[in-house]
Amino acid sequence: MNDLLVMAQIAGRRCAFPAGVVKSVIELGAITPVPRSPDFITGITALRSQALTVIDCRSAMGFAPHDWETDHRAAVVAAAGHSYALVVDRIEDIATGQSSPESVPGGFGPQWSRVASGMIETGIGPALLLDIEQLIAGPDTSVTKAA
Amino acid sequence: MDELLADFVAETREMLEASESEIIAWEANPADGSRIDAIFRFVHTVKGNCGFFDFPRLAGLSHAAEDVLADVRAGRRDADSALVSAVLGVIDRIVELIDAIEATGACPEGLDDDLIAALAANGPPPDIAGPGLETADSAQHQRSSHEMEPVSPEANAAIAAQRTIRLPVDLLDRVMSGVSDMVLARNDLAHRLRQAGNQPTIDGPFERLTSILSDVRDAITRMRMQRIETLFAGLPRLVRDLSAELGKQVLIDLEGGDVELDREMIEMIRDPITHIIRNAIDHGIETPQDRLSQGKRETAFLSIAARQSGNTISIVISDDGRGIDEQRIGAKAVETELINPAELASMDREKILQLIFEPGFSTADKVSNVSGRGVGLDVVRQNLEKVGGSIKVTSTKSVGTLFTLQIPLTLSIIAGLTVEVADQRFAIPQSYIEEIIHASAKSLDFARLGETALVTFRGQRVPCLTLAGVLGLPGEGGDEASRSMVMLRLASGDLFALAVDNIHSHGDIVVKPLAPAVMKSGLYAGSTLLDDGRPVLLLDVTNIAGLYDILSDARTRVLADALEAEEAQTTIDQRAMLFTDFDGRRRAVRLELVQRIETVAAEAIDIAGDRVRVVIDGVILPVIGLTPGPLPAPRIRLLRLSDGACELLYAVREVNDAIILSGDLKPVHEDPMIEAITLVEQAPVSLIDGHEFFARLGEAPMPLARPKCRLPDTEWARTILAPLVTAAGYDVDQRGEAGSGHSGLTIWLDEEYEVAQALGNAPSGPVIRLRDHPDAAPGSETIYRYDREGLNTELRKQRSVVLANYSRDTTPDKGEAA
Repeated sequence: MNDLLVMAQIAGRRCAFPAGVVKSVIELGAITPVPRSPDFITGITALRSQALTVIDCRSAMGFAPHDWETDHRAAVVAAAGHSYALVVDRIEDIATGQSSPESVPGGFGPQWSRVASGMIETGIGPALLLDIEQLIAGPDTSVTKAA
Repeated sequence: MDELLADFVAETREMLEASESEIIAWEANPADGSRIDAIFRFVHTVKGNCGFFDFPRLAGLSHAAEDVLADVRAGRRDADSALVSAVLGVIDRIVELIDAIEATGACPEGLDDDLIAALAANGPPPDIAGPGLETADSAQHQRSSHEMEPVSPEANAAIAAQRTIRLPVDLLDRVMSGVSDMVLARNDLAHRLRQAGNQPTIDGPFERLTSILSDVRDAITRMRMQRIETLFAGLPRLVRDLSAELGKQVLIDLEGGDVELDREMIEMIRDPITHIIRNAIDHGIETPQDRLSQGKRETAFLSIAARQSGNTISIVISDDGRGIDEQRIGAKAVETELINPAELASMDREKILQLIFEPGFSTADKVSNVSGRGVGLDVVRQNLEKVGGSIKVTSTKSVGTLFTLQIPLTLSIIAGLTVEVADQRFAIPQSYIEEIIHASAKSLDFARLGETALVTFRGQRVPCLTLAGVLGLPGEGGDEASRSMVMLRLASGDLFALAVDNIHSHGDIVVKPLAPAVMKSGLYAGSTLLDDGRPVLLLDVTNIAGLYDILSDARTRVLADALEAEEAQTTIDQRAMLFTDFDGRRRAVRLELVQRIETVAAEAIDIAGDRVRVVIDGVILPVIGLTPGPLPAPRIRLLRLSDGACELLYAVREVNDAIILSGDLKPVHEDPMIEAITLVEQAPVSLIDGHEFFARLGEAPMPLARPKCRLPDTEWARTILAPLVTAAGYDVDQRGEAGSGHSGLTIWLDEEYEVAQALGNAPSGPVIRLRDHPDAAPGSETIYRYDREGLNTELRKQRSVVLANYSRDTTPDKGEAA
């Protein structure tokens, strides 16, 4: 509660990342694709001397990424010692959480339920609070790119 | 766990590590009081620190040990092997407790009465393995072998003198990545400065920044390094415990503890080395009785030495035990169906020994407590290969066994090659690369068998993968023959070719880890940044080979080796070097004739009439292939041809490539200098006739008589002029009497020359006259004696005159040069 949140649109929905896990928001530069990696991995990119794995949140949840525009900004997060750049539709704002994450009856739909810790009330309305670890694990049946 | 406690654990560990070797040394010589001091300090500090925490067990143990050690120090008790073992038992228990405290934050409950009783005078031996089994005999022996103490006191002093602080590892990593960022920022700045043009006021400080930055980078890289000592420190104890457990007597000798390598690498090799030592003591070293009956010293010698050579560290672990019985190895390999008897018969001893690294191989007849627990040397090899290292074994029966481990200096900085496929770049570790074959070279022969492509490389059919195919990138189909090939040699000795579109630079690359989801593909070992900051993926060569079943098992590996050896004997490729001569014609010369390619400055070529000679490495050789007239370029490339006795040089405009003479050779009769014409890439090429060339032009290389130069007989000439003249390629001949038969150059001081001329005994040969004043009299042929440049020019000019005289005198005419 009263935690800062980074608000973003993913697949047309409002989502929130805990501001503590987001190290920075960057403009995506050149991305080196990684052949034969799961679809939701867009590639790797460099942030100064660091290599970031670029993950498209839309495909990581199981949506088709091309259905939504992106503003080419990405949230940089760290998980298990590796850094990731999360591609979203757009980064919106910083907001303050006004409730604890809570579940809603009926869930959020299969794609969302896996990655969401729950609904959280913010100054600009309710948002889904996302679990980074779940998000970067990719969809359950991650399909390998066709040769 | 709170910070204070963490510090306590870390400090205790560190002190223990530092006193490990003291403990062993003390055991070897219990009378040595200085050893006890270090151990006393250890238990004392543990006891003192326990006061801050509520750890009654630790306090009790360290207190008891401290009391006993205090008695020994004061001379109230003599240290004997029972006492040493008891103290070691206490220290071991302290380590156990520390481990538990680190894991849980609390000290486990339990009783230590047995250990404390063992410390008491005439107490019963403690009920612990290892130290308790120590026999009086072996202690006796160790005492007598005091002169072979494993760690010298000097070495200990060196460790103590090194001042150190402890730093969290991620702070180091942060500093390191900060420096990497600085290097990238510098590169960016350098790029912009270049665009902005020359700016002296900025360029100077920028240069300084660059050099400071590279210093800092070196220092940071060294921070990641650790002395291999940290690994060695635990070994004496390991050897001691193992040998006690197995009833053997082993002295360990450590060498090269100051060799530094990446701290991650040290962790990677810790297990392999421990494993080999266990093996050596368990299987390799005989019992004292056996050793005595064979006329060996009853104490075996185990030596571990680390050495750095360039980018690799070699660690040699050798024992003087019974050695490896290759017949047993062979029999076992056949029994486990690793190889069949026929293959065994064709293998030499060396090969058979390497079988011990094959999976599923263990000669231990019974599984002992120490080694042979199912994990074998195959795991050791696997782990070493994973970090780009290798291992091999040599052994002489009943003399000993020697394991050689080669490991790269660091995991994180390696030499790499960047290649390109489908407009994307990838890096390959240099250590795998056997050879690079550019697309233009037509020395490869392709065959497609089913889905597999094979290329013939040095008479051997080698599987060929296209990188595009491996990565599923477009352009897989294409014509392999038009691609560049990287020949990769795996640590197992298997060879395969990887076809890529383009080959770029190579250099040191900094390897960064990849996210697990990317690693899962099994194709990449990491990522790295190019100079311009673009990330590229580093290919995992071993894994890729494994995915395509190129990694052979023992059976095919052995067969392939035999085949290779056979083929090497039977096939002799007709290879030739393709070049373009100064008439623009493409010609070829058989590769066996070409010794090497020389590049010489035009000044080194001496044209006297129609004969052209060059001086290379102090010998005078004939040159052919130059067109008449001035030399076409300031530097000339020359093919150095040799028939074994004679040598000659062929001046060429361009060296194209080495080719295999696969097409028909059509003999040519019109031009005796041409052996045949053949087709290379659909164009005719004349193959020059080596026989005819040497018959006409070849000369045995004539050692270059350095032209003589006589100097004036003055102190100035001896000390100042002589070095200059020698550097210009003359032998200095201190002038005794002027004018006597001397065909070399003579340097005169002008006033002396005038006198000599007036007297009529001026020499006939070439002369350089030196004057004292900077300003010359008009029309004078003299050089000011401090005009270094003028003097050098003149010396060079005169040298070719003198040389021409020499060769006219000494070489018979052999015909016209081409």
